[in-house]
Amino acid sequence: MMDSGFDRRDFLKVMGWSGAAVALSGCGNTSIEDGKETVVSYVEAADFVIPGIGVYYNSSCAQCDAGCSINGKVREGRVLKLEGNPASGINNGKMCGLGQAGVQHHYNPDRVREPLLRNGNQGEAISWEKAYALIAEKLDGVSGEEIAFLSGGVSGHLKVLLGNYLSSFGCKNHFVYEALSPGVVRAANKKAYGVEMPRYNINKAKVVLSFGADFLGAWVSPVHFSQQYAQFRNGADGQRGVLIQVEPKMTLTGANADRWVPIRPGTEGILALGIINALGTATGDIAAAVKNYDKVRVSKETGVPPGQIDKIAAILKLRSPSLVLAGGAAEGYAHGSQNAAAINLLNHVLGNVGKTIVAPVTVPFPQMAPAKGNTAALKSLNDGLAAGNFKVLFNYAANPVYTAPGAMKFKDNMAKAEFKVAFTHYLDETALQADLVLPLDSALEDWGTQVPEYMTEGAQINILQPLMENLHPNTRGMGEILLALIKQRRPEEYKNYEDYYAYLRAALVQNKNAFGGHSMDDDTFWNETLTKGIIKLAGTTTALNGGTNVSSLKLPTPAEQDEQFPLQLIPSVNISLRDGRNSNQPWLQESPDPLTTIVWDSWMEIHPKKAAELGIVEGDIVEVTSRVGSIKTQAYLFPGIHPDAISIPIGQGHEAMGRYAKGYGVNPFKIIDTVFDRETGELAMHETRVKVSKTGQRVIIVKDESAAGAKQVREKIAGRVSTDNVDLSKEV
Amino acid sequence: MSISNLLENWSQFRHTHPVEDKPHDPYKWAMSIDLDACSGCNACSVACYAENNLPVVGKEKYANGQVMHWIRIEHYWDEDVGEEGGREFPDQGAQFLPMMCQQCEAAPCETVCPVGATNHTPDGLNSQIYNRCIGSRYCSANCPYKVRYFNWYDYPSTENIWPAEMTQQLNPDVTVRGKGVMEKCTFCVQRLAAAKVTAKSEGRIVQDGEVQTACQQACPTSAISFGNLVDPESRVHKQWRAQQVELDKDKQAKDEKEGGTELRGYRILEDMRPYPSVMYLERVRESAI
Repeated sequence: MMDSGFDRRDFLKVMGWSGAAVALSGCGNTSIEDGKETVVSYVEAADFVIPGIGVYYNSSCAQCDAGCSINGKVREGRVLKLEGNPASGINNGKMCGLGQAGVQHHYNPDRVREPLLRNGNQGEAISWEKAYALIAEKLDGVSGEEIAFLSGGVSGHLKVLLGNYLSSFGCKNHFVYEALSPGVVRAANKKAYGVEMPRYNINKAKVVLSFGADFLGAWVSPVHFSQQYAQFRNGADGQRGVLIQVEPKMTLTGANADRWVPIRPGTEGILALGIINALGTATGDIAAAVKNYDKVRVSKETGVPPGQIDKIAAILKLRSPSLVLAGGAAEGYAHGSQNAAAINLLNHVLGNVGKTIVAPVTVPFPQMAPAKGNTAALKSLNDGLAAGNFKVLFNYAANPVYTAPGAMKFKDNMAKAEFKVAFTHYLDETALQADLVLPLDSALEDWGTQVPEYMTEGAQINILQPLMENLHPNTRGMGEILLALIKQRRPEEYKNYEDYYAYLRAALVQNKNAFGGHSMDDDTFWNETLTKGIIKLAGTTTALNGGTNVSSLKLPTPAEQDEQFPLQLIPSVNISLRDGRNSNQPWLQESPDPLTTIVWDSWMEIHPKKAAELGIVEGDIVEVTSRVGSIKTQAYLFPGIHPDAISIPIGQGHEAMGRYAKGYGVNPFKIIDTVFDRETGELAMHETRVKVSKTGQRVIIVKDESAAGAKQVREKIAGRVSTDNVDLSKEV
Repeated sequence: MSISNLLENWSQFRHTHPVEDKPHDPYKWAMSIDLDACSGCNACSVACYAENNLPVVGKEKYANGQVMHWIRIEHYWDEDVGEEGGREFPDQGAQFLPMMCQQCEAAPCETVCPVGATNHTPDGLNSQIYNRCIGSRYCSANCPYKVRYFNWYDYPSTENIWPAEMTQQLNPDVTVRGKGVMEKCTFCVQRLAAAKVTAKSEGRIVQDGEVQTACQQACPTSAISFGNLVDPESRVHKQWRAQQVELDKDKQAKDEKEGGTELRGYRILEDMRPYPSVMYLERVRESAI
């Protein structure tokens, strides 16, 4: 047993009462009756609790938006470990590292435990009654237009309740913001396929050509795609799938490719048109649109050798169906929509639409469908705040003070709102600017429903249920809070719901016929639903109906060399830290970056050739300067990056958020130029030009890779064979 | 283990399994890892932290090489990339390799322990007895895979390693190790023990798929298989046999043939004769692109 602050009474509660009378006497307790109310005998154990035996409860992972289902191991009332729920079509019992770390979100020592009201620079603990009364008071006399609600992606009943709350005072200003969202790709997909997010059958493709979509790492639904990838590698009918990854900075997916093609940043669309040209199968408008994109020109503009373009075209022609993906690295430009459109066009030309790109299913309850976040929402909110349009600002599941580009001056603009409320788990950068901080239950303590954006063959509604009692008595679930707030506005409508649990139960039981519970009584249906943790639905299928309109396709020729800012900044997405909301989970901080193996810090990736030009060696502290500002970090020489680009990962550089996040590394959002995609208004994350200079300091980089690097006897340790020699489909 | 006992019964202590006079029965735990499926995502490692109460040591101790990851992802790049005169880019990607204790049948670490804290179990595990370990670290020095981790500090009492709240996450089935003790991957022995007890009480042996290691369970690409090598029905047994890898050999069919074969299975540093219990399957790369 550890000698940390383990409470003695809890200890007794866990160990049972036997022999405790002896143990207690002379331990400072004056009577055996002391604390009897906190001692519960296992003679009257709660349901399913058997000391020493783990019980598993199904729930859903809330670490990212992919919507994996989890199976939590609970022992003696404590949640210990999260496994994947094998019944989910999304993760089929598998889990990523980020999901595993969900318990560290729950047990995080830096969670907010009391409602806090700003008093100067301090937060003063207040009661929930006072907090709710304060919100009612501040909303009094404020019109709906003067209220803004900022949130991350929300779905399910929480979204319904939130919508009802906002409409109760006529507020239409719900800004849904995700710092890392495939916003441009969604819009391009809508045009090309008629839906924002079709279903991708990676496992049915023989060739996957990915333009910077890190589907094994951090793109859309990585655990699901990873499983498809394993099937793709084994080959559907005996032929192993081939992965070609085109991107200026190697991602985890790029590191797993059969051929990784470094491309000049921003020219992905040009290469896509060049491949269509090389295929030579297009006709009509498309053929006309690509006729000028011959190998010589494309090679000159993209930096991809002509021979490589031929090889890609040849293998795409030979092996069908294939799948072409547009991801983060292709969409992050002012012409991001054009890039994505050109890449999607390739799927039409190759005949993949309907084969590897198929119609998605949606839940038949549109009000529960996910409100998908994007970055355009942040801009409109920021503009509104800057103009002083909003008196009251609510913030839930977003941290814009940390993730907004520095040039937006979000923090200053936020201060213009008179009353700012943050619903939060931690005192992050945004919560620190709030006037009222309301502490939330962790995702392992809360009730809820989720509708994932990306689903598989069948539609599903994920159930969140508490895996244990509240760790801290004074936190509340977001649903619980919204219900309390909406009762202030519409007491009559909601008076039958004692709490969010009652609301959720009523809402689901009411529709039990639609959820496959015709033959069950309410209790059976409800228990069944909680036991499974997933409601599977037939769902409705939206047919693909997009077109191949090429008339608006215009790709800019790459800009000339910029003397002042010669390098392109790629803010890369780390598989564990993503947008930085999970950076305070120590397992993730100590989980090495898959490519550089660096831990607990930021770094700048630079190609060894460029580094030699600039006289930079590994560990040099460099200053990276953009038009907006500069940050200093350690240099890491990495051959998996285009020599015209440097890369700094997102997720570090927190100025708040607790002991495991604050003060580690730097935040590249601070120096990002505020350039937006011309069609969608999404933030163009890769449009920042920078220069790099040495500061003269040097450190030893903390990483898992040994001093000898990875160059020791690879042949003997990590074997590699060519496809000529093996037939995976015949293996066990 | 006295020195005289050790010398007298040397051949017994150095028994490599399975051999004719003393086969593994009914269990020999073994693993196979498909490097073509492994994407290097590190989920296995985080799952291991969660299951086995591994401390997060923090940046400073990490810099000192005191990290405790029982399973780590090793990275290998082609040797000529980024070098003078070599290729400019790693255009065939990286090689990822999950590395953990290989549970060697003739483990170099076992013979050198002065107190017999690490030894072999009848079901083929290289076990570590924490309360017998005196921290000589000789085993770690002798391990060719560098997968033994030493507790340089008393992590439970070290600040911010396990704050009070986080102690509640600790797995009660696994000891929290104190200062001065060597530790390493156990193939999730707590799960194996539980499965064996269940099976025994039902009068049978553990069936394939009944028990999973934490890393195997998490792996999004199902690259890791684990099971009983003696059980002809187990996936691991079938994989080893298909790849013609034999536990008690230091040269396999794959090594005999000149100029490549269709076999992908190999064990790391096999020629040093530790007879590891983990078979890796070589990564495959497309020749047409």
